[in-house]
Amino acid sequence: MDPAAPADSCETSHDVHKSLETIFKNNREWALDKARADPVFFEKLADGQAPNYLYIGCSDSRVPANEIMGLEAGEVFVHRNIANLVPNLDLNVMSVINYAVRHLHVKHIIVCGHYNCGGVKAALTPADLGILNPWLRNIRDVYRLHEKELDQIADESARYNRLIELNVEESCRNVIKTAAFQQSYLEHGYPMVHGLVFDLRDGLLKDLKFDFEGTLEDVKKIYSLS
Amino acid sequence: MNVARLAVRPSAVARTVEAAYSRAGLQPSDSSLPSVSSHVHRLPAHLSSRCSPFSTSAPAFCAKTDPSSPASANADQSNTPNSDRYSSALRQNKEWAAQTAREHPDLFPTLATGQQPQILWLGCSDSRCPETTLLGLKPGDVFVHRNIANIMHPGDLSSGAVIEYAVQHLRVNHVVVCGHTFCGGVAAAMGNKQLGILDPWLLPLRLVRERNLALLQSLSEEEAALKLVELNVREGLDVVKQKGAVLNAIQERGLQVHGLIYDVASGVLRELDTQDSEETIKSRLTAFAVRD
Repeated sequence: MDPAAPADSCETSHDVHKSLETIFKNNREWALDKARADPVFFEKLADGQAPNYLYIGCSDSRVPANEIMGLEAGEVFVHRNIANLVPNLDLNVMSVINYAVRHLHVKHIIVCGHYNCGGVKAALTPADLGILNPWLRNIRDVYRLHEKELDQIADESARYNRLIELNVEESCRNVIKTAAFQQSYLEHGYPMVHGLVFDLRDGLLKDLKFDFEGTLEDVKKIYSLS
Repeated sequence: MNVARLAVRPSAVARTVEAAYSRAGLQPSDSSLPSVSSHVHRLPAHLSSRCSPFSTSAPAFCAKTDPSSPASANADQSNTPNSDRYSSALRQNKEWAAQTAREHPDLFPTLATGQQPQILWLGCSDSRCPETTLLGLKPGDVFVHRNIANIMHPGDLSSGAVIEYAVQHLRVNHVVVCGHTFCGGVAAAMGNKQLGILDPWLLPLRLVRERNLALLQSLSEEEAALKLVELNVREGLDVVKQKGAVLNAIQERGLQVHGLIYDVASGVLRELDTQDSEETIKSRLTAFAVRD
């Protein structure tokens, strides 16, 4: 997301119609290609999903989950919202985590942020963004939790990048505070929780090496639900 | 869409498992397999007693709960330890980045300067519905929100923020609400099992079920599930079109809102006829249009 550079729509209605036609054409080609390469590809998918990963990422169009991880249809359960947040009171993401852990038994939960995140940038901007305010407030709270560290970074873009990383770690921590995660991890030893940041400039994922076992120990005293 | 495929076919599940074993170079009886399956049997009684509540998407899940089934090892599809599987995703990212940079040398430098997606996709979290892949599009093309059963709650801040940002700030030209066949959330809402935190999330689906009870009861189980998928998309479209930002964009710059159904069994998208009557449009504008 980049609030500073909104796309200027200069399409005519003819173009708009054409672009949707292209999508249906693309879709049919993709389905045909897949079926040609593996005649039972869709048959297997129709039999059910058993993804190993839950991916919680940003809605940003430049960060498509399957593509950046090189995963096929059926391999990763996906939730994407503005700035990959995991707010405690958000029924939406909490339902996704609950379903992925308790019913699909995913082995890994990946929280993926990205540099150049417009949501994080917007949260650093003193502007009233209407209904986006309460959502973005979560990011301002992450800043407050790490105020000392962030304020010591003189370079503005380095500070922005660090907040993006800390925001991912905070989301990982929020995953760990859920009952679904805690119960599954204590009982089965999974899922593991990972924090990643995607770099738009080279397409590479950076592993933040989030210490989820240590964090689980840390938060246990107050947040244990099992 | 082939509604007959909604039925669970154990033989096909077993075939999938065999394929998984063969990919991993293992025989089903291989004792070196991780013992994950022995853990997943200890499920709460309401989950392990039957395949439901998420039956249409849950054959593999059902298999995991059945210790006598060879498919129970499907809980871990290969001999790869969990952490290695994660590492392999990171390795695949390196390969993808290198290949994408080779095939589209301008893509990453362009992406770093900003995004101008034309499409907002509101779809299901289901792993079988990867939007950018199945649309044959590239990074930068589709702004995405995916949740359980592509439900649009009027008061949900998460999807509300996504829609506001995509329509108002990114000025997308198309908003797509996409449901899919074999949806586990829809199957759950067609059943009556208590599911904890998922219950309030699935509530809009149950409201649609209640409003269309006679119709749904007149259909077979499979047809009813498929009908609820469609009704849920239509309901989602209504909620999207009740938002001020969307209504204004439709009026002012011809934003288009579409309802699609993705057939998991064939990989093909189908567009629903969602043309509103003049009367519907008029009442919607009267009731929901808001301006500064």
